[in-house]
Amino acid sequence: MSFQPNAFDPSSQPVQGHAQPQVQSPGWAAQVLNGYKIYGSEDSEVRALNGVTVGFESARFTAIMGPSGSGKSTLMQCAAGLDKLTSGDAIIGDVNISRLNEKALTLLRRERVGFIFQQFNLLPVLSAEENILFPLTLAGREPDKAWMDHVIDTVGLRDRLSHKPSELSGGQQQRVAVARALVERPQIIFADEPTGNLDSHSSAEILAFMRNAVIEFGQTVVMVTHDPVAASHASRVLFLSDGLIVDELLEPTRDSILDKMRNLGG
Amino acid sequence: MFSYSLKSLRANLTRFVATSLAIILGIGFLAAGLMLTDAVRVGLTGNVEQRYEHVDLAVVSSDMTVDISQLQGIPAAYVKKVRSHDGVAAAAGEMSAVVRVLKSDGTVGNLRTMGRNWIDDDKLNPLELTKGRAPKSDNEVVLSVDAAKSAEADVGDQVDLETPIGPRTAKVVGISHFGSADALDDGGTVSFAESTATEVLNAGTSTVDDIILRASGDVDSLKQSLQKSLPTNVKVQTRAQLIQDVTKSSLAFIRFLRPVLQGFAYLAMFVSGFVIFNTFSVVVTQRYRELALIRAIGGTPKQVRRSLITEGLGIGVGSSAIGIVLGAALGKSLQLILGKFDLSLPGNGVKITLGTVILSMIVGTVVTLLSVIVPAFRAGRTKPVEAMRQSAVDTSGTSKARAYIGGAFLVVALGLLAVNKLTKPHWFFLGPGALLLFVGLFIAGPLLARLIGKLIRPVLSLTGLTGRIAADNVVRNPKRTATTANALVIGLFLVTLVTVSGEALKTATVDQLNKLSSSDFIVASESAIAPTLVDKIDKVKGVTATAPVKSIPITSESGQVLYISGADFEKLRDTTGIKITEGSLEEVTNGDGMASADYSALGGSGGSSSQFSRIGESQTFTTFDGKSITLTISAMFEAKIDSLFLGDVVSPQTFDRLAGDKPVSQIFIRVEPGKADEVGPRLDKAIRGYTSVQVVPGNFIGQTVGKVFDFLIGAVNALLAMSVIVALVGIVNTMTLSIFERRAELGLVRALGMTKGQVASMVRSEAVLMGLMGTVIGMSSGVFLSWILVSSIPEVEIGLSFNWARVGLIFVVGLLVGVLASILPARRATKLDMLDAIRSE
Repeated sequence: MSFQPNAFDPSSQPVQGHAQPQVQSPGWAAQVLNGYKIYGSEDSEVRALNGVTVGFESARFTAIMGPSGSGKSTLMQCAAGLDKLTSGDAIIGDVNISRLNEKALTLLRRERVGFIFQQFNLLPVLSAEENILFPLTLAGREPDKAWMDHVIDTVGLRDRLSHKPSELSGGQQQRVAVARALVERPQIIFADEPTGNLDSHSSAEILAFMRNAVIEFGQTVVMVTHDPVAASHASRVLFLSDGLIVDELLEPTRDSILDKMRNLGG
Repeated sequence: MFSYSLKSLRANLTRFVATSLAIILGIGFLAAGLMLTDAVRVGLTGNVEQRYEHVDLAVVSSDMTVDISQLQGIPAAYVKKVRSHDGVAAAAGEMSAVVRVLKSDGTVGNLRTMGRNWIDDDKLNPLELTKGRAPKSDNEVVLSVDAAKSAEADVGDQVDLETPIGPRTAKVVGISHFGSADALDDGGTVSFAESTATEVLNAGTSTVDDIILRASGDVDSLKQSLQKSLPTNVKVQTRAQLIQDVTKSSLAFIRFLRPVLQGFAYLAMFVSGFVIFNTFSVVVTQRYRELALIRAIGGTPKQVRRSLITEGLGIGVGSSAIGIVLGAALGKSLQLILGKFDLSLPGNGVKITLGTVILSMIVGTVVTLLSVIVPAFRAGRTKPVEAMRQSAVDTSGTSKARAYIGGAFLVVALGLLAVNKLTKPHWFFLGPGALLLFVGLFIAGPLLARLIGKLIRPVLSLTGLTGRIAADNVVRNPKRTATTANALVIGLFLVTLVTVSGEALKTATVDQLNKLSSSDFIVASESAIAPTLVDKIDKVKGVTATAPVKSIPITSESGQVLYISGADFEKLRDTTGIKITEGSLEEVTNGDGMASADYSALGGSGGSSSQFSRIGESQTFTTFDGKSITLTISAMFEAKIDSLFLGDVVSPQTFDRLAGDKPVSQIFIRVEPGKADEVGPRLDKAIRGYTSVQVVPGNFIGQTVGKVFDFLIGAVNALLAMSVIVALVGIVNTMTLSIFERRAELGLVRALGMTKGQVASMVRSEAVLMGLMGTVIGMSSGVFLSWILVSSIPEVEIGLSFNWARVGLIFVVGLLVGVLASILPARRATKLDMLDAIRSE
């Protein structure tokens, strides 16, 4: 077994100590430092995250993999500010979100974080275009017209803009969700099993869009998945087990991922 | 399956609490009405039974058609006659009038204290002495326990009284009680010696209300022989008949109250039905996958159906039981509240009978079951395969058939009402038209909901995206929205109808009445106005003319009871302005001529107060004392409001000859022009201390009728508020459940950066919008129907006089219902766990 118990030496952490709310970290779009997430009380406590420290580099497509119950969704939710760590720090850009109140956190999510979920991704009463613009509308910001056109053409939704989600296929709906995440140019996009409900053709399309966004626009994307094929689109794969990062793989292929998984499983 | 029903009931307890609340409120109201009226009935009848426990026979006035038998009474001379009759062991006349006992600080203890004559026969007297002795001389009284307590007086003390003949001081010689109760009368009893009672209670008139007696031998033969020996203007009654008559007259208001209360309770139940139907429909949608799972693992449609009906049964039975308890509490507290305002109902709070319990249980359960049937059948049709699908929001739209049928109903209804409006109004068009309008509104509800939603959308869009999403959410399931709003529609429709048409009728009626009023003030008494008071009023500053009037009832040759008044017609003319329309006053003033009111001016069938048709006719009249007189009609005078209190007028001399020296019963007053506002308080001051004497303004009938209308409109609206509250529960329910359904969506918008405040405002807009829909539909149909209804009333020209303040108030109430209903769901929506909501299953 040749993996490093901790891929990130604490001494190389860009953050010195927990006392600083504002953190200078040009290279990191988001980080979790010494993060614990504990459910239940003493007797029956479950440590979904067990002191994990991880950083997601800017302009990179990172995938998080791990078996069921390894804490990968919890890690994503805590890193994205959807959930709060029991202890430790979660940092988006230069803001330590563990110290933010509910309202500030919501506004920060609105400004800096994009989401793509497996399901319930769109609001049924809004058209595709309105769904794409939804976060901007909430923030009361005008969309950058040129950028928006570019995004829409990239995902190929030009002729579907006035349709309601119920009039779109699953793949088209997910493309709307990707466009929505891209259009606000967030610091980081979190995607939770974005291809979980899609056929292989649509999956490939969506993954290609995300990958292109990283390469062409310098977008940061973090994706949670259990599908090795999906993960192989990323440039870096983190493996999670029992609430800790146990391994990582750079520029992975489907086969190298499968090998690692076999090793971890064994 | 039964245990499944039980478990799902328990698991979804909070959800069903809201459903139950609708039934609990409705049944509570129904039960409270029944229990209260039962208690009042038992209170009254029990009282009467006890009061006449030892009475064998009673002599009462034969004329029971006029419900003023107390006013006319029976000549006191009859008491002696009855007492000396063979076979009568004891007899006593009963007298009563309002008397007030003043507390030591000079304020009135209780407004409903009655003065009575002390009956010397221990058995006939319903009262017993607990202390002291019976009153014997002029200034002695016996107080009931409660009256003594309120006046802080004991045997030997002096008390100040207000009586029909003015203030008076008396010495307390005894304390009385009535059976197990403190007093015979709600407000306590003051008993006087018989001679004093005649002077104080009847202002010197020698009449009694009735005569009660005990027989020494056979009751039946005594009844016959007594009837033979007495004139026909009185009749002899058995104890049973007496109790029946007295009970009937005291129960009159309950006989009216009970069906009215019940009517509103059933209306509340009807509205509850909508709420229950709605809740169950949503519950079924929500549990779609669960039900499908049951189907997939082998549950038959029948079992699924039965499990839901069992749940409904459980809720129906449980809520009805709670409703009955609530009803008892409601009745009791209502009694207490009324008591605080000196309006205590007779009886002891509430009376719970088996009948009430059974009826309430049945009504509550049946309404619940009926409301559950449709959702249960829909649940039975769940396909097993649904278990494998993602749960989705119920967005069943409106069916075309429903829209067409509802539309057709509305068109026919409008047609009928238009025919009614344009041609001669007829109930044939109005009745079915109104009914179809209502049914049509219900059927076309979803269509209207969508329409209003569409209309309001641009307005709400102005408030931003959240407003627009709210508008879209409301019309996502127009059927559910319509059912929710319909509960409010019923209530507000009726409130508007009652208020708008009631106001219109009131204005028209009061205007008519005010045209007929004439004198500035009337001082009137139930029994008598003491001569000292007559003089006092004459001297009040600002009074320019007074016309004292004495009245008695007399019987015409055909047996009809009329009122005849003795008054100086010159004075009447000075005070009331009533003019002679036909004939001359010569005979009236100087002889046995009579003047009658000419009703022909009022329209209708015409005629006069005396039933004479021509001047110069004469007829013989008989008084209740048995005296008779022949009078000739020699003049007709205008029919105005004051005329109604006069009946037929003769000169004071003629009256005295006929009736003896009767006290004055009313005084018409004319004051200096424009000084009415100053003189009114002076008159009030003058009569202070005289119970049963009132000063009323000349246009008091108009005022009273206006007040009665106001009271009725207010009371009916207060009762209708019940259904509005139930509708509020319905909106809360629908919103809560729809939030539960949409929790994934709400989670998403939270994740994407919608603040809690924005989520809450979105949910609030939805609830307010539903309230608005119910309000708009209910109010507009109410106003429309009022317009048709009011213009359909013939003879009187009534305009639809809007009381905009009230209409505005109803609108605000409707919106407020929406706002109130949104508080809970909005809070719940913001408390949703965002992660739960978006977690993939």
